[in-house]
Amino acid sequence: MSAESVPNPNGVALRVRHLSVRARDRAILTDISIDIPDKEVTAVIGPSGCGKTTFIRSLNRMTETTHGLTVQGSVLYRGQEEIYSPSVAPVLVRQRIGMVFQRPTVFPISVYENVAFGLRLEHQPEDRIEQEVEYSLVRAGVWEEVKKDLDRPALSLSGGQQQRICIARALAVRPRILLMDEPTASLDPVSTQRVEATLEELSREISIVMVTHSIAQAARASTRTAYFYQGRLIEEGPTEELFERPKQELTEEYVTGRFG
Amino acid sequence: MTAGAEGRGEQATTLTYASVSGRTRRRLVFDRLIPWLLPLAFVAVLFPLFDMIFWVAQKAVPTFTLATLTETQVGFGGGLYSMILGTLILIAIGTAIATGIGIAAGFYTAEYAPPAVASFGRLAGNILAGVPAIVLGYFGYYLLVLYTNWGFTTLAGGIVLGIFMVPYVYRTTDVALTGVPPTQREAALAMGARPRQYLLRIAFPIALPTILTGIFFAMALGLGEAAPIVYTAGWSSTPITGLMQPTSFLTGAIWLFYDLPPSEGTLLTLAFQAAFLLILIVLALNVIVQLLSDRYRRRLQGLFE
Repeated sequence: MSAESVPNPNGVALRVRHLSVRARDRAILTDISIDIPDKEVTAVIGPSGCGKTTFIRSLNRMTETTHGLTVQGSVLYRGQEEIYSPSVAPVLVRQRIGMVFQRPTVFPISVYENVAFGLRLEHQPEDRIEQEVEYSLVRAGVWEEVKKDLDRPALSLSGGQQQRICIARALAVRPRILLMDEPTASLDPVSTQRVEATLEELSREISIVMVTHSIAQAARASTRTAYFYQGRLIEEGPTEELFERPKQELTEEYVTGRFG
Repeated sequence: MTAGAEGRGEQATTLTYASVSGRTRRRLVFDRLIPWLLPLAFVAVLFPLFDMIFWVAQKAVPTFTLATLTETQVGFGGGLYSMILGTLILIAIGTAIATGIGIAAGFYTAEYAPPAVASFGRLAGNILAGVPAIVLGYFGYYLLVLYTNWGFTTLAGGIVLGIFMVPYVYRTTDVALTGVPPTQREAALAMGARPRQYLLRIAFPIALPTILTGIFFAMALGLGEAAPIVYTAGWSSTPITGLMQPTSFLTGAIWLFYDLPPSEGTLLTLAFQAAFLLILIVLALNVIVQLLSDRYRRRLQGLFE
């Protein structure tokens, strides 16, 4: 893939500088600067309404699909390419920087066609699609469970399977970065465990940014954590450090469960 | 207190219907009548339908033969062939126009139009649906019969029928598309889909069962209309030979033959047979749309939670 051939000397997946998002006259995010490292799972935590969902939506220009949001500042793909530059196609941004939502959003078509969706948009040849569908389902850790049901409607699967189909669908176009908005919020504990195992596996190849409202999940499944509060980035660093030796009092209050 | 029996008696009378009066009493009595009044209303809805079907079938079935469908009416004899043909061609033109324009307009207001334009479009659609069919008929007469110098033509009849049907197709398309869960749109856009790709690959298949219902409903209404076409398609007893010729049609047979001087005998029978045939077609349309949308909806189970 062309994206892979671009050198990435600094090990940065996304370099965010002075990012602010406003909804008309209300600030949702204020002056966020952070480096999202390559091939790690970065957890984004914080109380409801702190702007963490808006933050990851601003990382692949999904903010544009909501009316009335204005974005300022810069987001550099692989530390180099400005995704908000007028010459950049949002469609390509979203192919390189995929997204998985809070609730499974499978389309009402077969498992196979769901995973093939992004490839069909690119008019890929059928044999290529077939390979990618299988490989993506394997990477998403759901191949063994669905390999005999590829023609079944995706909606007939369990919630946990549907969510991993959505992950496979995002992976099929070979993104370098995967943004996940509370990907296990609507899943049972067993499915949650499977998705977390999938994330760990995936982070060997790509960079993952995961919003979660579960402090325990951030501690379990991420290598780095960013804590947001009232639209500001309060603290970020290696997960272990942030949980055991938080530098900010606000962070400590949140991770020890004293509020939020 | 002498209490005992007396006290207990007093308490008992506070629970009976007799113990209350005035408005409370009337309300309680009315409550008891509701389970009887509602089924009455229900029967009052169904009775005319079944009575009408029975009445029409009674007059039409005994003389209904294959010749009724295949022969052309000549004088006081013959069958409905030319009217069946005319109705089928008129409804085909009307459906083609209403489906094309209705679905395209629905796509526009559901996905592309600014909110103000979209709500104006919805209002305009509702108004068009409310325009009496006879007004559309006159409109078609002035525009497509007189102004164009076409005279009475099947094409004009089909066009006016299409105008009559279009708001139903438009409205169901718009409602069906805006009813697609927004998460589907988000997911498609997040995959890099453009709005047109989202519409055609995701939203349209989801909306299709509802849109089909709208099309079939419009067809059923169009089939039963006489007013938009009597002033535009004119009338011709011979089978249609071209779109620029006038034609006969089933509703016209009912309208013309029922009150014609010899209001007994063959022509009256033909009127009943035309009515019977229309009822059968509309019934069949309803069954088909039910089966189709059931099949599609099963596929969508779990999407609208």
